[in-house]
Amino acid sequence: MMSSLSARLLLAVSLVLAVFFGATVLVLDSVFRNAAERAVEARLDVQIFLLLAEAEPNAQATLDLPEDLPEPRFSTAGSGLYGQINSADGEPIWRSQSTVGTGLPMQPGGGLGVHEFNRTQLSDGRPVFLHTLNVEWEFEDGSAAGYQFGVAESLEPFVDQMRRYRRQLFGWFAGLAVALVLTLGVLLRWVLSPLRQIEREISEVESGMHPQLSENYPSELQGLTKNTNKLIRAERTRLQRYRNTLGNLAHSLKTPLAVIRSSIEGADRDSAEIDAQLNRMDEIIGYQLNRAATSGGVTLGSKPVDVTEVVGSIVRSLDKVYADKAPVTEQRISPQSLYFGDRGDLTEIMGNLLDNAFKYCQQRLRVSAQAIDVDAARRPGVHLIVEDDGAGIAQADAQLVFDRGVRIDERADGQGIGLAVVREIVELCGGTLEISDSDLGGASITVKFPSN
Amino acid sequence: MRLLLVEDEQVLRESLSTALKDAGFVVDAVGDGEEGLYYGKEYPIDVAIVDLGLPAMSGMELISALRKAERNFPILILTARDRWQDKVNGLESGADDYVVKPFHTEEVLARINALLRRQGGWADSVLRAGPISLDTRAQQVSVEDSNVDLTSYEYKVLEHLMMSAGKVVSKTELTESLYEQDFERDSNVIEVFVGRLRRKLDPANTIKPIETLRGRGYRFTLE
Repeated sequence: MMSSLSARLLLAVSLVLAVFFGATVLVLDSVFRNAAERAVEARLDVQIFLLLAEAEPNAQATLDLPEDLPEPRFSTAGSGLYGQINSADGEPIWRSQSTVGTGLPMQPGGGLGVHEFNRTQLSDGRPVFLHTLNVEWEFEDGSAAGYQFGVAESLEPFVDQMRRYRRQLFGWFAGLAVALVLTLGVLLRWVLSPLRQIEREISEVESGMHPQLSENYPSELQGLTKNTNKLIRAERTRLQRYRNTLGNLAHSLKTPLAVIRSSIEGADRDSAEIDAQLNRMDEIIGYQLNRAATSGGVTLGSKPVDVTEVVGSIVRSLDKVYADKAPVTEQRISPQSLYFGDRGDLTEIMGNLLDNAFKYCQQRLRVSAQAIDVDAARRPGVHLIVEDDGAGIAQADAQLVFDRGVRIDERADGQGIGLAVVREIVELCGGTLEISDSDLGGASITVKFPSN
Repeated sequence: MRLLLVEDEQVLRESLSTALKDAGFVVDAVGDGEEGLYYGKEYPIDVAIVDLGLPAMSGMELISALRKAERNFPILILTARDRWQDKVNGLESGADDYVVKPFHTEEVLARINALLRRQGGWADSVLRAGPISLDTRAQQVSVEDSNVDLTSYEYKVLEHLMMSAGKVVSKTELTESLYEQDFERDSNVIEVFVGRLRRKLDPANTIKPIETLRGRGYRFTLE
């Protein structure tokens, strides 16, 4: 199956054109040839009547023709026009001067007044049209004799004419066919341009450069584009609704936990075990719901997220929360740093990383973002780095972050568990997480989202 | 200090409210956002605790509305949602800190005290002004490193004045931060408390920590 509609249409049209034009050329050729032959025949007819008019009966009861015929070609050797008169028994009684050294292959027979027209060859082999007419001549003495008048014309001019005609015919039709196919190609581009636009826009919607397909499509396509847009919007609201539901679920699960905790706090009995179990339930709920709420990459039609803005609002928020510690945050975010994906996911990733950095730093932290492979043809990637001047992450803890064997909700608390959760979210979103040391003295966490 | 608590879960509201009262706060506890907005606008609230998952008017809307009405007291949000987007939205809409449910009551108290302290421009949980230091955690006051024995009301008055150091605090405001109901609005009581405070903190009348502004109120002037 051919993949392109244009190629299919062009191929079909070319085949139809070839058959149609071929048939037309054949018909025109045959019509023209017949007409040309009829014209030759009519011309030779005239020449026969001319000979008839010039023929004079003589004393021997036969016919004489003058030296000077009104048609000079009869008198010129090799002129291509030949005349001959045969007696009834087939003997030539006159030949025009132009026939030198040859003769017309006239077949005796046929009734009086019968015209014959055919292609044949002179006795020396030259191809000609031969036209003959049988007449009966009455002499003055009352006797009568039958004669056959023959006029032949060389085939060459006719063949030339046909060749010229065919050349023109084929030339025009070939030109016309090429022009038609080209015109069709252009027309197809124009007619199919909305389809190409849809294709382009869908890939732009996929990559998040557009929220949805535009509306100005031809009426035949509007059903398709409107429904596609509906689908895109439904997908977006579906994720939103899903997150709200998860949020409400978290609320309805955790509020009772808070109630339980507040009621055991007042009691005298040893409540450490209950409290530990509450912590565990809380962590499991938080971890599982967060995981479920991660969209995992691009939602159709969502705009790329401005990293500067997201990091800015998280840092402002954390500055409030850590107002007593008041660490200094250095933001090195290149202005075109965009995250092509879900804002909630990026906020979750950066929120966790920055919260860790605020928590574990001494006084300074740094957040950097760099756009990767910025180029019009593809979706750029982004590298996000969060560093602090804290104690750093021990080798063993860093190893735990990448340990896939252990379930995260069964792990002990610490910086490791937070990072393991971030690693999961990052990987769900198609990125990678790396841990190294920062020149600030503490940990450096790099999240890489590749270009696409 | 007068505290507004907006929490729709009744058991939680009551237990938190009890804990806060035990810690010395005057608590206005309400169950929905609209009531919370009314209290926030009509009462001299010093600090608020707002649950984000409220019926009718959401916690976020309540905070935005309070900030729009230029109520600038610190707000602590309680949230069951641990998505960062929710926390950031809450903090960006005007809250100052958050605690995730299920919380420990001590943590809520510590956060509230920190917010109040920061609001008053104090960097540490122990407020120091001249020879006077007030430990907001232990609720203890000392002058020149010797403990001063204050009653709970005296402590509250001093804490309130120190938290608003440099600003004029009216007698009405002091009364409302000490008592939930309006019926005990007898300004003489405040005068009595301030008089006793002055005698206990400054028996020789040399440091003069509390200034009286006739007809307007009191001001803590030490730095």
